[in-house]
Amino acid sequence: MHQNKLSLQNALLTLEQLQRTPSREDGITEEQEDDLRQFGCHLIQTAGILLKLPQVAMATAQILFQRFFYQASLRKFAIRDISIGSIFLAAKVEECPVRLTDLANVIDHLQKKFRRSPLDPLVPFGQEFYDLKNAVVIAEMQILKKLGFNVHVQLPYAIMVNYLKVLELTDHPTIPQRAWSFLNDGLRTSIYICYQPPTIACSVIWLAAREAEVPLPTNPAWWEVLDSNLEDIENIAGHIKSLYYKTLPIPDLPLTINEVEPYLQKQKSIALALADAESRTGKKKGQDGEEAEQAPVQGGDSGSVVPPKNTRVSRFS
Amino acid sequence: MASIRNHAERHNAEVYRDYKKDRKVGEGAYAVVYLGRQLSTKKVVAIKKIKIGQFKDGLDMSAIREVKTLQELKHPNVIELMEVYFHKTNLNLVLEYLESDLEMIIKDKSIVFMPGDVKHWMLMTLRGLDHCHRNWILHRDMKPNNLLLGRDGQLKIADFGLARDFGDRNRQLTAQVVTRWYRAPELLFGAKEYGYGVDIWAIGCIFAELLLRNPYLPGNTDMDQLDTMFRALGTPTDAEWPGMQSLPNYMQLNRYPKTPLRLLFTAAGADTLELLESMLIYDPNRRISAREALLHPYFYNRPRPTALENLPKHVRDTPEEAKLKRKAEALGA
Repeated sequence: MHQNKLSLQNALLTLEQLQRTPSREDGITEEQEDDLRQFGCHLIQTAGILLKLPQVAMATAQILFQRFFYQASLRKFAIRDISIGSIFLAAKVEECPVRLTDLANVIDHLQKKFRRSPLDPLVPFGQEFYDLKNAVVIAEMQILKKLGFNVHVQLPYAIMVNYLKVLELTDHPTIPQRAWSFLNDGLRTSIYICYQPPTIACSVIWLAAREAEVPLPTNPAWWEVLDSNLEDIENIAGHIKSLYYKTLPIPDLPLTINEVEPYLQKQKSIALALADAESRTGKKKGQDGEEAEQAPVQGGDSGSVVPPKNTRVSRFS
Repeated sequence: MASIRNHAERHNAEVYRDYKKDRKVGEGAYAVVYLGRQLSTKKVVAIKKIKIGQFKDGLDMSAIREVKTLQELKHPNVIELMEVYFHKTNLNLVLEYLESDLEMIIKDKSIVFMPGDVKHWMLMTLRGLDHCHRNWILHRDMKPNNLLLGRDGQLKIADFGLARDFGDRNRQLTAQVVTRWYRAPELLFGAKEYGYGVDIWAIGCIFAELLLRNPYLPGNTDMDQLDTMFRALGTPTDAEWPGMQSLPNYMQLNRYPKTPLRLLFTAAGADTLELLESMLIYDPNRRISAREALLHPYFYNRPRPTALENLPKHVRDTPEEAKLKRKAEALGA
C-alpha cells in the first residue's frame, strides 16, 4: 500500500505485499489468515446490523480492517479489538458515529453468541465494560497509526447501481439484489484492496447476470465500455465465489489475543494428525492438509467459476 | 524484506523527524497549534497537535472531518494539509502557515480598505468556496477568523472541523453549525436539510463586515440573532421564502419593514450592493451560488481587484521587533 501520500483513490496492494503479509511472516498460513480475516469481517457486518449502521459504514469498516492486517500481524492484534475499532472509526468517517456504550454491548453479545455461552447482558459500568470501551479507543488509534490516516475509502455500490442502469438491468428480479450481496460478501476477500471500485462493480454484475443466465452485449463487450477487462472481472468473481465453498469454523476462531496461540497450536496438531493418518492408510496426500475439516456449504452449486489458484494483483502507484 | 510491514511506521518516523515545533501559537477546542518548520525545506508550517488519549470517545469527529475533507481539496484558496503523523499518542496535522486572518485586518483600524481590496478578498474567498462546493463539501464555519491571509496576500479558507459532504437527500444534517453571527436563517429555524446556501449567507455577512468594518448581524442569542437579522433585512414573508413555515423551529417573530441596503452601506456601489443582496436572500433556494457569484458584474466592473502584493497586511511583530519598536518610540518621545 502506498502510504507516502494521502490519496483519494483506494490504496491497492502490491503483489509482494499480498504474498508476504505480516501474519504470513509470523507463521500463520494463508488459509488460516483467510479464515481469520473473514471472521473479523463477519463480526463487523453482524455488529453493524445490530447497531443499525448504514451499509457504507460497515463496508468502510471491513476495508479498514483488511488494510490494517496488511500492516500488522494477526498474532499481535486481536481480531475483536481491530474489528470494533474499525467500526468505531468507519462510523465517524461516514458521518454516522456510534456510541461507545452501544458498541461495547453489541460486541459483548456477539462474543457470547460465538462462544455459545449464555447471553447475559454486560454489567453496566463493570470492569469488563470499561475494558471493552478502552480497547475500542486504543484500536482506533492503532488503525489510524498503521494506516497513516488513509481512512478514505471509495466504495463500488453507487457505481454498480449506475452500471445496472446503463445495462437496463435495474428491474430484473434477481440481478440487482444478487450483485449487491456479492459486493457485501466480497468485503470478506482481498478484492477491495486489489482492485478499484469500477472493476469490482463490473465483476459483480457479470457474476449476477451469469447466474441469472441473462446475456449481456458482447460486441463490443459491455465491460470494455466501462473500462474493465475480463481477466480482472473473472478473478474478482472467483474470489467472491470461493467464499461459498466453505463454512467458517466460528466457535474455534480466536477473538482475543490470548486465544490466538492455542488456536494455532490446535490447528498445527490437527494438521499433523491428518498427515499422520494419511501416511498410515497409505492414501495419497492431498494438496491441502485441512481439506477434510471444511465441508462445502453449497454442494449443489457447481458454478463454472473456479476459485483462482494464483492471485493476480493490479498495481497502483 | 521486513520493510513492507513497517512501511507506514517508517514513513511516520521520517515525517516526524522532518518537522520541528517552535512555539505554541494557539489553542482550539480539540487541538493545540504550534508554529514549526520543515527541516528539509526550511518551510514554515503550522502543526496542529490533536490529543487522542484525552477524549473518552476516541479521536474527535472534527479531526476526522478536517483530514478527510482537506485530503480532497487542493486549491490555492484552501489551506493545504501537507502531512499527517503520529507522535506518542498525539496526532499531528501539518498545515501551511499563514501569518494573519481577515478578522485581524478588519479589527486593525489603522488600515484603510480600498474597494479593490474588498473585491479581491471576496474573489479569493468565493474561489476557494466554489472549489469546496464543486466537490460537494460544505464548510459550515465561514467567518473572518477562518479566512487566513499569507505574507503574499493570498487568502485561504481554513478550519474544516465542521465540514461535511452534502447533496444526499436521505441524510439529515445538524442545524447546530456556523458561528452565530454568520448563521443562515434556515439554520436558525432548525433546518435539517440544507446546502451551499449556508456558506453563501456567511460570506454575505463577511462581505458586509468588510464594508462596514464591524460585524453586520451581531446577535446575542439565537433568538436575538433572528431579530437582529429581520431588523436589518426586513422580516421575510411567505412569498419571499416559501417553505419557511414548515421548518422545525419556525416561529412568528416581530415584523420589521424591509430597508434598502444603501441606507446603511452608503459608500458602496450599485453592483456591490446587488451582489451582497443576492447573498443575503432569505430563501436558500434563490440565494446565489459561489459559481454564479464569481460571474457577477461586480468582479468585472471597476475598480479592479487590488494586486495581491498591494493588499493590506496585518504585520504581527515578533516579540523582539515589538520590543525594539517600543524602545524606538520611547526614545523618540
